[in-house]
Amino acid sequence: MNWGATLPLLVLASSLLPGLVIFFLPEERVATRTTLNLAGAVLKLVLVGVMIWGVFHGSHYETRLPLLPGLDLLLRADSLSMLFVVLSSILWLVTTVYAVGYLEGSPNRSRFFGFFSLCVTATVGVALAGNLVTFLLFYELLTLATYPLIVHRGTDEARRAGRTYLIYTVAGGTLLLLGTVWLYTLTGTLDFTARGFLSGLDEAHHAALIIIFVLLIAGLGVKAALIPLHGWLPQAMVAPAPVSALLHAVAVVKAGAFGIVRVVYDVYGVQFSASLGVTLPLAIVAAATIIYGSMRALFQDDLKRRLAFSTVSQVAYIVLGIAIAGPVAAVGGLVHLVHQGVMKITLFFCAGNLAETLGIHKVSEMNGVGRRMPWTMVAFTVAVFGMMGAPPLAGFISKWHLGLGALDVGQGWVIFILAGSSLLNAAYFLPILYAAWFKPPPDSWPAERSFGRRETAWALLAPPLVTAFLTLALGLLASAPFGLLQWARFITQLEYAP
Amino acid sequence: MNTVLSALPLILAPLLPLLLAFPALRSRLPRPCYIALLPALILLIVPPPVSIDLPWLLLGTGLGIDDRAGRLLLAMSVLVWVAAAGLLHSANDKPADERLTSCFLLTLAGHLGAILATDLVGFFTFSVLMGYGFYALLVTGGDEGIRRAARVYLVCLILADLALFEALLIAAATAKDLGFETVRQAMAQSASPGLYLSMVLAGFALKAGVWPLHFWLLPAFRSSRPAVALLLGAVPVAIALLGLVRWLPLGEVRLPALGLIIQGLGVAAMLYAILAGIKRTPLTRLPACAAIFVTGLFTTTLGAGLGDPAAWSRYGNLAYFLILLLGLGVAALVAAGRWLQAGSHSPAIPRKPVDASVAWFERWPGAVTRWATQLGADTLPRLRAAWLAKVSGCRRQIRAWQRTLDSGERFLRRWAHAITLFLLLGIVIVFVGALSWVW
Amino acid sequence: MSDIHWPVIVILLPLAGGVACFLWPRRSVLLGLLTALGVVACVAGLGGQVVEQGAQRYAVGGWGAPLGIDLYADGLSLLMLTVTAVVGLGISVYSSGYFERARYGQDRARHFWPVWLFLWTALNALFLSADIFNLYVTLELLGLAAVALVALAGGADAVSGAMRYLLVSLLGSLFYLLGVALLYHSFGSVDIAILAQRVEPSPAVWAAMGLMIVGLLLKTALFPLHFWLPSVHASAPAPVSALLSALVVKASFYILLRLWLEVFPFANAALAQLLGLLGAAAVFWGGFQALRQTRLKMLIAYSTVAQLGYLFLAFPLASITGWTGALYMLLSHAAAKTAMFMAAGNILYFGGHDRIADLDRVVQRLPLTITAFALAGISIMGLPPSGGFIAKWLLLETAIRSAQWWWGGVLILGGLLSAAWVFKVVGYAFTRSEVPHEARAVPATMEWTALLMAVLAILLGLFAPWLLALLEIGSPFGRENAG
Repeated sequence: MNWGATLPLLVLASSLLPGLVIFFLPEERVATRTTLNLAGAVLKLVLVGVMIWGVFHGSHYETRLPLLPGLDLLLRADSLSMLFVVLSSILWLVTTVYAVGYLEGSPNRSRFFGFFSLCVTATVGVALAGNLVTFLLFYELLTLATYPLIVHRGTDEARRAGRTYLIYTVAGGTLLLLGTVWLYTLTGTLDFTARGFLSGLDEAHHAALIIIFVLLIAGLGVKAALIPLHGWLPQAMVAPAPVSALLHAVAVVKAGAFGIVRVVYDVYGVQFSASLGVTLPLAIVAAATIIYGSMRALFQDDLKRRLAFSTVSQVAYIVLGIAIAGPVAAVGGLVHLVHQGVMKITLFFCAGNLAETLGIHKVSEMNGVGRRMPWTMVAFTVAVFGMMGAPPLAGFISKWHLGLGALDVGQGWVIFILAGSSLLNAAYFLPILYAAWFKPPPDSWPAERSFGRRETAWALLAPPLVTAFLTLALGLLASAPFGLLQWARFITQLEYAP
Repeated sequence: MNTVLSALPLILAPLLPLLLAFPALRSRLPRPCYIALLPALILLIVPPPVSIDLPWLLLGTGLGIDDRAGRLLLAMSVLVWVAAAGLLHSANDKPADERLTSCFLLTLAGHLGAILATDLVGFFTFSVLMGYGFYALLVTGGDEGIRRAARVYLVCLILADLALFEALLIAAATAKDLGFETVRQAMAQSASPGLYLSMVLAGFALKAGVWPLHFWLLPAFRSSRPAVALLLGAVPVAIALLGLVRWLPLGEVRLPALGLIIQGLGVAAMLYAILAGIKRTPLTRLPACAAIFVTGLFTTTLGAGLGDPAAWSRYGNLAYFLILLLGLGVAALVAAGRWLQAGSHSPAIPRKPVDASVAWFERWPGAVTRWATQLGADTLPRLRAAWLAKVSGCRRQIRAWQRTLDSGERFLRRWAHAITLFLLLGIVIVFVGALSWVW
Repeated sequence: MSDIHWPVIVILLPLAGGVACFLWPRRSVLLGLLTALGVVACVAGLGGQVVEQGAQRYAVGGWGAPLGIDLYADGLSLLMLTVTAVVGLGISVYSSGYFERARYGQDRARHFWPVWLFLWTALNALFLSADIFNLYVTLELLGLAAVALVALAGGADAVSGAMRYLLVSLLGSLFYLLGVALLYHSFGSVDIAILAQRVEPSPAVWAAMGLMIVGLLLKTALFPLHFWLPSVHASAPAPVSALLSALVVKASFYILLRLWLEVFPFANAALAQLLGLLGAAAVFWGGFQALRQTRLKMLIAYSTVAQLGYLFLAFPLASITGWTGALYMLLSHAAAKTAMFMAAGNILYFGGHDRIADLDRVVQRLPLTITAFALAGISIMGLPPSGGFIAKWLLLETAIRSAQWWWGGVLILGGLLSAAWVFKVVGYAFTRSEVPHEARAVPATMEWTALLMAVLAILLGLFAPWLLALLEIGSPFGRENAG
């Protein structure tokens, strides 16, 4: 029991404490810092492993700290939170390795890694949050921890991006706060409960509940980059590549999407929100986001900006899967939470590699880059096909369940959205691949750095390869026992079982 | 034990080429393109039926060969791929161009997998792999013309995959699992198979380049490298036709109207192919026309099958033979065309010095192939010369016939002749008719 | 333990310390710090007593209510005392660094300690007073000590600021005194508890109420009576600014609260709405002004104006949760604002200026300071898990429960405004400026105190249940259905 109460705290502490220590490390103690970072990441992974084992065998991990009379800070490991915790702790390890390689020799690294760790702490906190107020706490902490990472470079552009980010996210956080408090005044509890805790509420409150839903979704939608709240995301791509990777794949965007899952499942409950009539509008917003994001991505020449718009589009899949309000689509949405993370992080790693090794930032500069950096581009290619939903990669599994789920509940229009999105995905990704693999390389690259016989530094190359491999494995082994799909089915069963 | 023995080559057939597609994994291997084909070859001699279930893979899939047709197809593929592998690297390629080999092997993996797949998802997966691999194969080192063709192919491919994906979803929503047989029956019983059928038809028609959608085939045949042209028939086209056979609930549903339309398309395709073949006859065009013709033939059969299930159950196997014919025939035509075109100026095969660092027992594959190539290289030119002589003789004869026909045409163009002939014909018919009535 | 007269000791100890500092100026730092520690210990003792035995009434010299001086300690007083003690300790530590080697000579340092300790005495006495006249006396003492501290910086700015402050302070006290006189005349007592039983609405009472509230509002610097505050707070030395913002203005608010709750419970809703409205106006006005400022200390001073506005939002909400929310706001604001002024002091100390536009060169060299500022900012913005968040949550909850939306809107928008100015400053920590600045090293104590105060403001968010339980002692806000 005692162990059950401390484990969630330990999981948080495994990144929080190294982060705090790192803040105070002098700049030049690279080895200590790296060791701390990696040790924290590995430790977290181990702890999460223990936790999964426990959750699978029916243990309960729950930490309660009183926040206000009648309101607790609650950390709890349930099946849904484990999904996100696992994703973030694995990708954190990978990203840490990458960041160490990426930032080698640049200034302010202690600050960077400190906030980096805080950011992951906040993400894991978001995942483990057992009620809405705890969620809110870590959600805001995430905003604060990410801001320094976005403005890390300190250029005017970066600061502008940081400002935009803050305007959006702080406003979003405020809406979330408002919604949360209002909900609290109606119910007196905020603990996440499978299938929601609102359905027993009086009919008279239903109008208020709809408004609260809108408030909550708007607050979360800012981070999840639903249109029209996505404006900060493309700007935030000025951040260093590991940060973009983290923003898009693990932390911020995902926290928003995850929050929407939580609100729909564990606050309102799918059946109840469907009966309130709020899921269909949400699905429509998500669908619009999918298409709009892809359309915008088509016209970006800046590689990272294109990827950013692609994130806008892809994250909406998760929301769509939830909003379709059927068990199969929900599985699709949930697995896409993980899949999108793995694929998008690969893409950003690769973009970072190109920028760091060859000085390439634009799609138009990528001619023939496949010859110079074959491994990087192999990873990139795998991720791109995954994004397009080509079998047998991860994206296919998500799309499959989304489409099937939509048919299941008789919302056939969704499969046309999926088709359109795939088409647009192909339209903005395949030209990149074509240029990279089949066009002749230029005489010289914009800013080439030599790494001897390897195409780039080892720490930069290994992470994208690992995540690309994960993309493949997540698709191929989707149905394997103990696989992701099973886990997602388990979660949705809790939500949909009669 | 037996199952293990048979399952191993079954899995390896697509897996080995896939693995070898990574340059690092094949750098120590002599002739990886041939080695990659070995499991498929072994599979040919394993007694049927062979199959294996892979429930943990993807959405649960499997591999297997159930019938004779599958084996035949496999044999055809092996044959064509061996030939293509021989032609893959032409003399002016840089030896270090590993990408071509990688693309080749990827396509091979997709192709074999698609033949061996036992359910829709597996088939779809492998055909996607094959499609993109083939695109890469087309475009690698190609000129502007081939790039344009490849681009068109790519667009077709994307659209086709989308359509097929939708079809898959519909199938999955209708049937309880995605084995070919289950889906066929489920679709036959389904209330509204229209969307599924049209998606499948559109998807595979795009992939196969069936007549009105054939626009990428012609330039692709014209200007791609020999190995790729050799594969054009057997790989994208044949597999797409195979897909049609496997995905459609043929012999189960009766859709006369749709069948008629498809038949019409098939006939039109054949006519087009004949006209195109006669009108412009550069040798390299011929295989393309042949491909379109056979495809048309196939489409006609398919239309008939859709219109009349009974006919399909009787003559359905014909479709497989058509596919076979397509793969082999087109390949043969291409080979012949190139071979004839190459004429007497065949490139000298460079002799590789024996690598002394390799142990003798590692040298034997190289030695064997060297010996075989020598054998071929020494005898072939003479054969080719003889053929050339014969072919040009034939051509002369054809020309003579054409001249005769032409003069006949000119003769007919004169009004007087035409009217005389017409009247004569009328008199004869009336006469014959009257005679038969009287009798 | 239980028979020690903690209330008296809590008042006498800083007085004795102040006198000692005055007598032995060379040892003033040591004496001052010791006194601060002692006061903290004594407050803790008092706290223990109150927690154990409930609210305490203590008659000085045994004379009892109508004639003698009564001291009264319930949860509310205890909380105020605790804040004062903690912030006071922080300020003492900070000042030991600030005045020791600052450009202010030994002279000023010598003046600082006694005056500061007198001020502390006045504060403690104020929070423990049980009658309104006593409150007046302590208020006056407090004002005078504060004026003296403001003048400590020297220079024309500081002196004119101090003069203005003196006038305002005297004016405010005067109004209050008139009110006291009226009440005494009508009911023959100045004891709050007795007044609470006797007072009933009458023209004289209304007049007294008006006078007292206006006087106190002036001293609390509620919009639009805040005109004197920014320049005074900005021109004072950093620890003094911290004191003024964190504690001194809160003292008059405390009096107002006490009177409102106990002497004038019949005050009508319109007045409450008016106060709330003024509070809302303060929130917006202060927020916008803060955003416009080009000097860091002015900015922080205007933010104080805004934050004081929040406190008055509790009046129209008028429920226990609302009052607790306001009190919690007061608490966390005290800690956060102290940290902010300390950080500003560090920046000024280090770079010699506090122009916001040129801040980047300074703050990059003072990571601890800017961290302190940022953490304090989090609390001011009301982001979780800070004390400010708890306060905001409580107020928001009350606003929604009582269906008074607009106050919730004020809270939300005010939070956004403060976020805007906090990040305007914090953003300067992340520029590329590499130019080394002609700088003096900042003593470590100053940086760390600022940081610790900021961390305290954050931690307040995690210990709310205990503090709220403390506040309930003696139920200063009445029972659940009161108000």
